[in-house]
Amino acid sequence: MTQRPPSFVVRAPTGTYRSLNPATKLATAAAEVVAAFFLGLWTGPVVVLVLVVLTAFVAGVARRLGVVAAVTIPIVASIMLINSLLYPGATDVIARIGPLAPSISGFLFGLQITIRLLAASLALGVAYLTTRTGDLLADLERRGFGRRASFIIGSAIETVPRTVTRAAEIVDAQRARGLDTEGRWWRRVRGIVPLAAPVVFGALTEVEERTMALEARAFSTPGPRTVIRTLPDSGRQRAVRWALLLGLVLLVGLRLTGHLAVVP
Amino acid sequence: MPGPPRFGASPLADPRGLRVAAEALAFTYPDGTAALAGVDLEIEAGERVAIIGQNGSGKSTLVRHFNGLLRASSGRVLVGDAPVGDRHVADLARAVGIVFQNPDRQIFAGNVRAEVAFGPRNLGVSGSELQGRITSALEAVGLAGQEATNPYDLGYSRRKLLGIACVLAMSTPVVILDEPTTGQDARGVARVQGIADDLTTAGRTVIAISHDMRFVAETFARVVVMEAGRVTLDGTPAEVFAAANWETLARTYVDPPLASRIGDRLGLGSTPTDAALIEAVVARGG
Amino acid sequence: MSLRLAGVSYRYAGSPNVVLSEVDLVVEQGEVVGIVGPNEAGKSTLCLVAAGLAPGTIAGRLEGTVTIDDLTTSTARPYELAQRCGSLFQNPGTQLSGTTLSVWEEIAFGPRNLGLALDEVVARVNAVVSTLEIGELVERAPARLSGGQAQLVALAGVLALQPAYLVLDEPTSQLDPQGTNLVGDALAGLAARSNVGILVVEHKTDLLAGIASRVAVLDAGRIVAIDASADILADERLPGWGVDQPSSVRLARAAALRGVSVG
Repeated sequence: MTQRPPSFVVRAPTGTYRSLNPATKLATAAAEVVAAFFLGLWTGPVVVLVLVVLTAFVAGVARRLGVVAAVTIPIVASIMLINSLLYPGATDVIARIGPLAPSISGFLFGLQITIRLLAASLALGVAYLTTRTGDLLADLERRGFGRRASFIIGSAIETVPRTVTRAAEIVDAQRARGLDTEGRWWRRVRGIVPLAAPVVFGALTEVEERTMALEARAFSTPGPRTVIRTLPDSGRQRAVRWALLLGLVLLVGLRLTGHLAVVP
Repeated sequence: MPGPPRFGASPLADPRGLRVAAEALAFTYPDGTAALAGVDLEIEAGERVAIIGQNGSGKSTLVRHFNGLLRASSGRVLVGDAPVGDRHVADLARAVGIVFQNPDRQIFAGNVRAEVAFGPRNLGVSGSELQGRITSALEAVGLAGQEATNPYDLGYSRRKLLGIACVLAMSTPVVILDEPTTGQDARGVARVQGIADDLTTAGRTVIAISHDMRFVAETFARVVVMEAGRVTLDGTPAEVFAAANWETLARTYVDPPLASRIGDRLGLGSTPTDAALIEAVVARGG
Repeated sequence: MSLRLAGVSYRYAGSPNVVLSEVDLVVEQGEVVGIVGPNEAGKSTLCLVAAGLAPGTIAGRLEGTVTIDDLTTSTARPYELAQRCGSLFQNPGTQLSGTTLSVWEEIAFGPRNLGLALDEVVARVNAVVSTLEIGELVERAPARLSGGQAQLVALAGVLALQPAYLVLDEPTSQLDPQGTNLVGDALAGLAARSNVGILVVEHKTDLLAGIASRVAVLDAGRIVAIDASADILADERLPGWGVDQPSSVRLARAAALRGVSVG
């Protein structure tokens, strides 16, 4: 009888789009990014952007995608401003105010870049928001990704909460010794070394102990690790990935050989 | 019997302690965990008290209220005879010193002297007074002469003692020790007991959290038992570790000292320490 | 077939101090050998050297030889040694891999590293969970374990490798009396039923009295006494070496001094 790991270990992802294999989601994002850059000046970016937003709604990550989009606001704003007001060689300048020369073509150019940027970054954003890192790593490892790379990425994730907890303990201990963290700023600046140094020392000592503990658990054994989580995949998804990959290559090829000049 | 208080440049010079108290103290962490569910506790100046109970019973949470690291959700905390109120932690650190369990979560200096100087410096101590305090504190923990040593060249148990020295040098009327004997060998435990004796001799209030029941029974005149954010027992070791309370203790994962169990088995009453057990046996006539 | 240290001296890289001096020690299969001594005597280093982690992973200079069955630690690969000899060290926080989302997966980490069949991995994890009675912890995230729970899980992770020998550095330091007894029973069981040779450093001499057949005292890097555990633990010199005698011995001695006996 085949014994299986308990269900909370297997943890297959659920939800529309989310339950797709990570490789599929990555392939989709890659194809979308390429389309945004190689499929015409407007067509690619607009189509991809619409597709990405629709996917986000379907997958239930629309709001969080909005947050990612909000992060791009400063960049978008500066692109729009610079291009609208300072586009070189514009022939349809509306007015001249000192060095500023607002133009329609400048505005359109800026808009084009913005949509392309948003399309590409949100495509990656959707892939990120719909895939758990653990799932991605498990899938990559099943496909032959090395255990060390997987370990490094995986351990980086826990490092942050662990460091935060440790930092909190350090702050408590130093405050208990009279370190002022509530008073004037010049008093608080004095606390940098007593607060930072134990974090650093702790991290350094830890590295040696952790390395040793890994070796003691036979981490450096050659060969593949036992796979305990196999994420669902299907023939259909495989076919879609191949199609996307081919389409991607085709797109780049056509563009580089000038065949897509007609696309707006 | 403790000798007369010592005076002079010793950090244990000022024979003063402070009363600390909690009145209907309740505390809930931001994530919703209720850690203290109404604690009433009075510790008089100069008393020596051990707080025991399972992990999560609220021991560490409680003592962090005495120096302001945590603020009551409801109820009051008093240090001296005044409520803690909004006093900054840096201010309360003059009155209440806490030695935390893990010394490696505070050591930042390249040498022992600078590490021990940190606390008193924060309190405004300098010059020869500061040097005197450092020397006495190191002597009290058995690290005399190690001023220039890098703390990480000391083994773990001596680093723990260094942590105690750092608080001793602050000359706080109240000294709280969080698990002072974990990771110590027999000599280290004896050293900690000696430090507690010196502090009591000097009239300081001493509070310790520990899960070493033998250490607790031998070193403290008063034991407070906590369970699920409340105090469930409060008395002398003989009272607290008496057989009648074993069920209450078991609920908070406390095993009474071996001497208690043997004493009970031999029908000698409550004998929380080896010495008490032997006395009882002798009294019965061997 | 045994774990054998012969004429071992050890110095850490970059340090002139000799931490271990001329140590001779043998742990047979199925035997539990306890190590006691004051802090900073070199007990942790002894564990590192016995398991082959020093000088392999922790740099230093080894004199003498350490052999685990037919492997010599100075020449064997770390993963070969790890399969033969499991080791556990003092800080449970760093013993856990830090990459797993559940205790179950954490325990499976070792067997997975060996590339064992999935069946075998699952069977081993379940067996260890049962032995250490940590069934209620299997779904918990390792990052959320208390010190004592982490220590039990770390031990489970090592036991899941099913090594022929175990080297343990204070495996019960964070455990309450119940946990300590559990680990003690598990170790005794492994030695008796699975013929595992165990080297265990402990302050808790009561525990060693129950499970160790021999005890060695390490002081300033040297073995100053080694004998049957009953003899060593009753030795009057133990307190002088910074070691607490087992409670039974202590009480008997204190009573004897007063001319009484404690049943």
